[in-house]
Amino acid sequence: MGYAIALAATAACFAVRLALRPVMHDGTNYLIYFPAVMAGASAAGFGPAMLACVLAIGLNLPEAGWPPDPSHILIGAIFTVLSVASGLIGQGLLRTMRDRSAALIALETQEAHLQSILATIPDAMVVIDESGLMQSFSATAETLFGWTAAEAVGKNVSLLMPASYAHAHDGYLHRYLSTGERRIIGIGRVVVGERKDGSTFPMELSVGEVHTAGKRFFTGFIRDLSDRQETERRLQDLQAEFIHVARLTALGEMASALAHELNQPLSAAANFINGSSRLLAETPPKLDRLKPALEQANDQLLRAGQIIRRLRDFVSKGETERRPENLRQLLEEAGALAMVGAKDIGVRLSYDLPPGLDQVLVDKVQIQQVVLNLMRNGIDAMDGCPKRELKVSARAMGDQTIDIAVSDTGPGVSPTVVDQLFQPFVTTKATGMGVGLSISRTIAEAHGGRIWVDSTPGQGATFHFTLRSVGDAELADLD
Amino acid sequence: MTERIVHVIDDDEGMRASLQFLLETADCTVTTYASAADFLAAADPAPGCIITDVRMPGMNGLELIQALNARGSGLPVVVITGHGDIPMAVEAMKAGATEFLEKPFDDERLMRAVRGALDRSTAEKSDLAPDPERVRLAALLQGLSPREVDVLRGLIAGGSNKSIALDLGISPRTVEIYRANLMLKTGAASLAELVRISMVAGFS
Ligand SMILES: Nc1ncnc2c1ncn2[C@@H]1O[C@H](COP(=O)(O)OP(=O)(O)O)[C@@H](O)[C@H]1O
Ligand SMILES: [Mg+2]
Repeated sequence: MGYAIALAATAACFAVRLALRPVMHDGTNYLIYFPAVMAGASAAGFGPAMLACVLAIGLNLPEAGWPPDPSHILIGAIFTVLSVASGLIGQGLLRTMRDRSAALIALETQEAHLQSILATIPDAMVVIDESGLMQSFSATAETLFGWTAAEAVGKNVSLLMPASYAHAHDGYLHRYLSTGERRIIGIGRVVVGERKDGSTFPMELSVGEVHTAGKRFFTGFIRDLSDRQETERRLQDLQAEFIHVARLTALGEMASALAHELNQPLSAAANFINGSSRLLAETPPKLDRLKPALEQANDQLLRAGQIIRRLRDFVSKGETERRPENLRQLLEEAGALAMVGAKDIGVRLSYDLPPGLDQVLVDKVQIQQVVLNLMRNGIDAMDGCPKRELKVSARAMGDQTIDIAVSDTGPGVSPTVVDQLFQPFVTTKATGMGVGLSISRTIAEAHGGRIWVDSTPGQGATFHFTLRSVGDAELADLD
Repeated sequence: MTERIVHVIDDDEGMRASLQFLLETADCTVTTYASAADFLAAADPAPGCIITDVRMPGMNGLELIQALNARGSGLPVVVITGHGDIPMAVEAMKAGATEFLEKPFDDERLMRAVRGALDRSTAEKSDLAPDPERVRLAALLQGLSPREVDVLRGLIAGGSNKSIALDLGISPRTVEIYRANLMLKTGAASLAELVRISMVAGFS
């Protein structure tokens, strides 16, 4: 192919030479063939350039006469040297050009590859530069956010988040660039995104960092979590329902003890009031004793009200919010509920709660349900035992973990159930439901904790579960 | 009724104080104890009667009556039970309690029970004339049919309509009808009262 070009170009030059013969008499003029050499060199390198060179010399020879005069030989030699040089240069140029285009093709393939990946993965991709301006906006990002790439590119990425976050984002970026402190880069977290129509949605964002040509870019991969959160919420609803039912079951089992507990203050109040009306019926009425009696009646009624309030809180369905709670208070309230009727059968309760316990971040009612389950189990286990002591203790374990333990002096866990203790419907009790411990495990694990038992046959059982504590410093950080 | 003391035993402070107040408005002299053990430990209780809760930590009301019997104490005992605690009440009556009250109770019932107990405590055991109330109630029970007696026995044992039906081989619906008849014939307003009447009448 290169040789054909060289041949054709030489022929063309020869034609020009023939056409110019009337005006150009200098038989040694090789100049006219030089374009043919160049054409050969640039089209296919050294070989074709040499072909053009040899042809040109051959065509020039008959005109030079024989023997050729020295000037002709000199010019011919110079022409040959120049042609060799051109051929070599052309060859080199061609090679680099070929390399370049190979690299280009490889790049293009890679790019196409990447594009196909980006088009198929469910994650949207947005690239921003150091100042937060969007550099690229994938097709998935277009469908996710409702902006076209043309609209988005060049704008600040805060376009994609609710206004309340947008400001903070600039801050994060700035802080990262100046201090290297990572809030999100390489970590990934769940944040809120905003669509073009102003609606918001939860998304999982992971960010990578790229350095090219002395510049820094951040690539964000975004996954829409709306569906996933929907599913999770539904699961949580179901679980809440289950936990609620279990709570009612526990209370159902305690119903007569609770009735007894309520009856106490109500009966006492009735006595004070009956006595008061007797005082009024006397002649003259004994008014001096009336006031303290009515005050005491009032106290008793308030006490009844408190029991009902405690119950109502416990039974009520709502409240799946986690809040920082005072652990001591939480445990003591649960203990009061669990001990209903238990002191009548001679169970002694003690607390071992060191001062200065941190707060815990929990759904209070759920954790109280765990404590109640464990305490009622302990009370049940000690039925008929000579020693009936129940202890509730808490220990800070370091690494922000608090270990809460409920121990009894019963017979310990029966070997027949010890392996499936925390599975639902495992019970050794005639009227047991066997859901208490499985619910307790669900709750403990949902709080990021563990639950387990240490049991010594004949000595008693100690049920442990862990909670994460929150220090004051962390709480202050939340605001 | 002076100088005959009502000994109130209850672990619940509110109940103790309120019983004391109510009884004092009715001109009784009252001493209170927070537990059965406290009462037994107190030297030589003054004559009178005892009002005690059945459900208490440590020694319960039933165990107290048994301990008193063992000592040969002549103090009549009125027992206070929680709502629906029929089997416990029956046990207490069988052990020798003179009366039981279901919480919450009205003051008339309490006064009648205390008066009855104090009267009994004054009477010498030997010349205890047949109690006219007891005679009246016993006569009421005489008028019951054998099936009604069976159902009454089941109820006193703490059975439910269903379990009694099962035991007697009749339908729960039939038990319900016998039960209604029992209430009518004895004039009892509640199950607790029916049981009390039976116990006072010496039904067994
Ligand atoms: N403190 C304990 N001591 C001995 N055995 C226990 C104790 N707590 C739980 N268990 C055993 O675990 C079983 C399951 O407990 P749980 O899930 O609360 O259901 P339930 O109390 O209805 O039986 C109990 O039936 C009992 O055999
Ligand atoms: Mg349980």
